Amino acid sequence: MSNYYEEISQSVISGQLDRVKQLTQQAIDAGIDPVEIINQGLILGMSVVGARFKSGQMFVPEVLMSARSMTAGMDMVKPLILSEDIPSAGKVVIGTVKGDLHDIGKNLVSMMLESAGYTTINVGVDAGPEKFLQAVKEHKPNIIAMSALLTTTMLSMKDTIELLKEEGLRDKVLVIIGGAPISQDFADEIGADGFAPDAGSATDLCKKLLA
Amino acid sequence: MPNYYEEISQNVITGQLDRVKQLTQQAIGAGNNPVEIINQGLIPGMSVVGARFKAGQMYVPEVLMSARAMNAGMDLVKPLILTKDIPSAGKVVIGTVKGDLHDIGKNLVGMMLESAGFTVINVGVDAGPEKFLQSIKEHQPGVIGMSALLTTTMLAMKDTIELLKEEGLRDKVKVMIGGAPISQDFADEIGADGFAPDAGSAADLCKKLLA
Amino acid sequence: MSRSQYVRANYQVNATPQLKMLSDDQCENVLNGALEVLERTGAEIHSEEALEIFRKGGCWVDGNMVCFPSHLVEWAIRSAPSRIVISNQKGERTMFLEGQNVYYGPGPTNTYTIDPFTGERRRAKKSDTVRAAKVIDALPNISFAMDCGTVMDVTPTLSDVHAFQAMLENTNKPIIHWGFGIDQYQDIIDMAAAVAGGLEALQRDPFILLYSESSPPLRHSVEAIDKAIFAAKNNIPIVYTPCTFSGGVAPATMAATLVIAVADSLVGLVAGQLVRKGSGFVMGGLISTMDMSSTILSYGAAELSLLSAGLTAVARYMKIPMFSTGGCSDSKVIDTQMGIEAAFSILIAGLSGANLIHDCSYMEYGATSSLDLMTMDDEIIGMVKKILGGVLVDDEHLALDVIDKVGPGGHYLADDHTMDHFREFWAPTLINRLRFDGWKAEGSKTMAQRVKEKTQDIINNHKPEQKSESVLKEIQAIVDRAEAREANKR
Repeated sequence: MSNYYEEISQSVISGQLDRVKQLTQQAIDAGIDPVEIINQGLILGMSVVGARFKSGQMFVPEVLMSARSMTAGMDMVKPLILSEDIPSAGKVVIGTVKGDLHDIGKNLVSMMLESAGYTTINVGVDAGPEKFLQAVKEHKPNIIAMSALLTTTMLSMKDTIELLKEEGLRDKVLVIIGGAPISQDFADEIGADGFAPDAGSATDLCKKLLA
Repeated sequence: MPNYYEEISQNVITGQLDRVKQLTQQAIGAGNNPVEIINQGLIPGMSVVGARFKAGQMYVPEVLMSARAMNAGMDLVKPLILTKDIPSAGKVVIGTVKGDLHDIGKNLVGMMLESAGFTVINVGVDAGPEKFLQSIKEHQPGVIGMSALLTTTMLAMKDTIELLKEEGLRDKVKVMIGGAPISQDFADEIGADGFAPDAGSAADLCKKLLA
Repeated sequence: MSRSQYVRANYQVNATPQLKMLSDDQCENVLNGALEVLERTGAEIHSEEALEIFRKGGCWVDGNMVCFPSHLVEWAIRSAPSRIVISNQKGERTMFLEGQNVYYGPGPTNTYTIDPFTGERRRAKKSDTVRAAKVIDALPNISFAMDCGTVMDVTPTLSDVHAFQAMLENTNKPIIHWGFGIDQYQDIIDMAAAVAGGLEALQRDPFILLYSESSPPLRHSVEAIDKAIFAAKNNIPIVYTPCTFSGGVAPATMAATLVIAVADSLVGLVAGQLVRKGSGFVMGGLISTMDMSSTILSYGAAELSLLSAGLTAVARYMKIPMFSTGGCSDSKVIDTQMGIEAAFSILIAGLSGANLIHDCSYMEYGATSSLDLMTMDDEIIGMVKKILGGVLVDDEHLALDVIDKVGPGGHYLADDHTMDHFREFWAPTLINRLRFDGWKAEGSKTMAQRVKEKTQDIINNHKPEQKSESVLKEIQAIVDRAEAREANKR
């Protein structure tokens, strides 16, 4: 039985999506506890990936292939469990701020968060304060993450934080920011809860904030 | 009258040999004191050249052109003065040691010494201890300068110094050495009076040794 | 004596070092790939004005998606000038962006700058652009100015305008400058016109190139494309420079990355040519790989040089002036890595024949600017320019008569021929060639220390030629006007 976990884990590490799906189905058919499939198979594999990425043994495209494989397995298992039993590291609303069309950095952070077990809601690019507000109301995330690549657009991060305050929601959600022109100083200045200099450390930041 | 000196000096600096000869001839014709032509015209020009070379504003070929121009002027003036009145910074016998045919470094030192007002007797390449000895007896120099480019031939420097000791002449003359493999340590080891790492500092070294 | 009693037919003289990253066939292949992408996949355009221009020009427009018929793109390529002459701020035509003429300069909009006196890495202030402009003005091998960092101690939406003022006041070299939007571009053109003596004088002898950066792949924001349109309307040349990196916003192969970069450049070109046939267009730009461990866009990668030279080959194939990249580094300090990356990229960009080579100030993958790096690059560029000049072979330089005159065992140090030619050697100003003792006597300084001293000396002592009081007043009035406008917006 434990073979399934080991094999699923290995296939997540090597990013073999079809194989992960096949093995997950077999494990389900063999009557293995779906929660165990997640915790001892899918997530375990992904933790190895995270560690190897940090030590420079794996590269971003490989991590993303692993994450995609893990998510494919998750999608099969999830319907079989009560939603409160689905392991999630937390929920994150993520978007690029108003006036800014830069997509790739934000998407990279989103993929890395998902790899680390977070549920992400991606509100896309050119997202104004109202869009973030609406997503916060609708999804009740633990964290909202804002990205900006321009020194002009980064100013709208502050507007979002102000709007959350006005709506009395600032205490309900943590705010993290990132992007080329962003610094810890700027995060402090506008009253954000955290700043991450790159996609890998965004995940660590979320873990720290939710610990 | 002082115009001649200033003009001669300027033309030494720019290395214009023909103009220096012409001006020197005119100055002589106008009845200027030959010793003053040297001391207030030719030599001050060359001092400026030396200073500019040190500051990196002039390069070796230009210094040599200036030296050549100065010497051309000197050659015109010298017959008019008693030998003892001819200004000289000192007399230096210079040569490349036995077994060594490397010429250019030694010649460069020779030219730089002449530029600085020294009288130079060049004994050429492949000069054994006897050749240096003979030259010392004949010219009574203040300094002998030996050059070697090979680690094998540099050992011949010691032989020359030993021969000078045997002949009782070591106290009468300063010995300086140079060339790619030579160091201050080697100079100390064989009992030379000084070492110069390059042609420019060889002139300074001579001045120091004769001070 | 004279050897030249004969005429030698078909003799090629003064061949300089040759580098052509792509053959004509490969260039054609990349260009056809870009034309196919534009016709089949199209580009996402976020400007209403641009959509209308493209629709009228004969493109297929569906919502924000625009597909470009190849004949239209080919028309635009032919319509753009193959040469653009840029003047200095005194109206003297100094930069000939034509053929394979090469000019180097720094880069724009870094998030941080290294303080040249304290070494601190911090946000740039207006005074930093003043310093940068002075250094640019003083360095002989830096041919044009860029702002060297986004100024953060002024009204945020006017850091472009303030940086431009700082440059105008401290250098007379040509300027390549960006702007947040059309309002700021207008300010910049007005200020430049004040210096040139009117808009028409500026159009005739432009000393500025406007700079616009799109967001690949195949997506052009309002600001990016509207700037291309604005520049064409005002008849001021533009540098349209998508920032394309392999594996991130382009496939992880270099040929495909070239295709995306060319396609994105051509979108800007078509917009400008539809507005004004023959308007000045320089294609960019920044092209490299994404490092798959750190996710940075590498400014020191071998691929930066390969891709930039490849894009330059395609630009030359199309006979469009090229804006390339060099003198930059991923290193965080002045160190050996920085020297290696800067030297390689300057050499390859130079050999490629790119007309404008920017980012000779970019360290830390472009996040930070360094005037010290610019000073060091100036030295490297001097060396590279010497290499680009090649070896001159003619009777005078063969010097057979001189060789015969001096003969065996002689030397050439004091020969007239040496005097006539030794200054053709490149003379270093920072590279140290002292003998050991001399170097030690001067304080045993490293390259980094010598670079720092030179930068500081320039900032402390260089006096750029000043503009007249009346011009400075005009410039200030335009800055004040911009401040009032932005205050109203808030």
